[in-house]
Amino acid sequence: MVQSNATRTLRILLAWAVVLLFVFPLYYWVTVAFKDAREIFDTPPNVWIFSPTMKNFEEVFGISFGFVTQREVLPGGGNFYMAPRLWDSIVIAVLSTALAVAISTVAAYALSRLPFRGRHHFVAWVLSTRMMPPVAVAIPMFFIYKDFGLLDTYTGVILIHALMNLPLAVLLLKSFFDDIPQEIDESAVIDGASRWLIFRRVILPMAKGGIAATAVLCFIFSWTEFLFVLTLTQTGLKTVPVVSSSFVTSTGTAWGNMAALGAAAMVPAFIFILLVQRQLVRGLTLGSLKQ
Amino acid sequence: MTAAAIRLRRMVSSDHPLPWLAPLIAMLVVFTVYPLIYNIWLSFHEYAPFKRSLVYVGWENWAQLMADERFWASLSVTFTYFFVVLTVELVLGMLLALLLDSDEPGFGLLRALLTLTLVVPPAITGMMFLLIQDPEFGVLSYLLERIGVIDSTTPILATGSTALFGVMLADIWQWTPFMVLIFLAGLRSLPPEPYEAAMLDGASGLQVFRRITLPLMSKVIAVAVLIRGIDLFRVFDYVFVMTSGGPGTATYTVSLYAWQQTFSFIKWGYGATISLVTLALILLIANLFIWRAKVRW
Repeated sequence: MVQSNATRTLRILLAWAVVLLFVFPLYYWVTVAFKDAREIFDTPPNVWIFSPTMKNFEEVFGISFGFVTQREVLPGGGNFYMAPRLWDSIVIAVLSTALAVAISTVAAYALSRLPFRGRHHFVAWVLSTRMMPPVAVAIPMFFIYKDFGLLDTYTGVILIHALMNLPLAVLLLKSFFDDIPQEIDESAVIDGASRWLIFRRVILPMAKGGIAATAVLCFIFSWTEFLFVLTLTQTGLKTVPVVSSSFVTSTGTAWGNMAALGAAAMVPAFIFILLVQRQLVRGLTLGSLKQ
Repeated sequence: MTAAAIRLRRMVSSDHPLPWLAPLIAMLVVFTVYPLIYNIWLSFHEYAPFKRSLVYVGWENWAQLMADERFWASLSVTFTYFFVVLTVELVLGMLLALLLDSDEPGFGLLRALLTLTLVVPPAITGMMFLLIQDPEFGVLSYLLERIGVIDSTTPILATGSTALFGVMLADIWQWTPFMVLIFLAGLRSLPPEPYEAAMLDGASGLQVFRRITLPLMSKVIAVAVLIRGIDLFRVFDYVFVMTSGGPGTATYTVSLYAWQQTFSFIKWGYGATISLVTLALILLIANLFIWRAKVRW
């Protein structure tokens, strides 16, 4: 469409204004992470950092950059030492992603290539597990885990996060496998290759990009998950989203420390999501829309 | 070798899908079918503090549910949340997608910036909006007070009539970009021919949008509504972090109510009963929608 210069400029300005409005809360959160308590409670609130400090990060990660002494930030030295929680988050996200991707690549291959009666219903069943409200799984799982001694364990959380990501991973990978022409499989079958060999040697390498995108999304959803970790852990382990509530104390909320942990936890997720921009829409719609 | 073993070997080496699907089926049965059955069993029991164990109570939990005003209030909060947020995110998402659908330099960067909100843990988003809506030092509260929309005696999240909107704001901020990205992908894959024909006929911009863009985008919109709708109906994180259901029952959603009954008030069976209702409602509404809108996977 032909646009006059004025409308063109207006559109660009408007687009930037709206997007910056969406970015603002993130920007503000990061400034809080670098502010000391006095600046956070300024009225009227200031949106700039006048005297940036690393203190919040030091207390949360137990590393000294010279603002507080090493002794103060060591484990036990502060209530806000959260490095172990970051480690919990990483272990859970990485292992649950690995489990979910392993199970679903195999299953998605069958759903894409091996026709069977009721396949459509099977896919619908997988999809319907995506609809289950987490609370309806978490309540019974709490009692089941209690019986099996899985409460408060890595294994327990990893299994449930893998489960949560299965519908997404299966449907998404199926859509990537569906993109690979059937003839490739068929000619390999004629050459006498087994299905397993075709899967490993032909399909997996061809779907590398799709598998990576799936893994990234699984990682992010485990990284940001709240309700299952809240319900199925007590004191042994906690992930970053859940532990952020422990900054709310009887003497007030440690906003600076909370923001420092939150901001640091967002960095890996930001990097990952930027890496999969091209497959993002397909992933967010469980493989039903292609970009 | 036994007959069963031979059959198993034949299945593994042939094109039978079962060995491929077995791990998936095992996971889904153990982690969705079994908990579901356990949950139904739980809904007919209740924790008896004096016995320190679960006792059979028959249909008592279900009868209590029907008469529980707080449950019906939570259902109404959930539906309000669902419809308001879905509408805002749809309309705003579509407007922003139309605005950003351009090949101007810099627009790729704008689209990338918008994806950032999607990866913030919702619990942290809740904290973020708790902070900016703080009545004393929150940026948003300060701005709204300056324009005169609110005054300092009625903090957004602590006032019954506005608390739910305060929570919705976090959701809208986080997930409108989700709609934008999906609609943008849809807009970018539209065929050019109908637009050329409409230009020749001299159709107005609004007519083109209503008669061509919307119908062509119907599948994309349906998928976005389905996925977002499921998440909206089971919203938990934002309310848990920002208001814990308060003030009063103003922001109690069904998920939160079920969770609190089970874990805060030790009414294990009753919480399970409420969570089952949530589950049934989501499955019903979502499948009805899939069937009516003919969404296909």
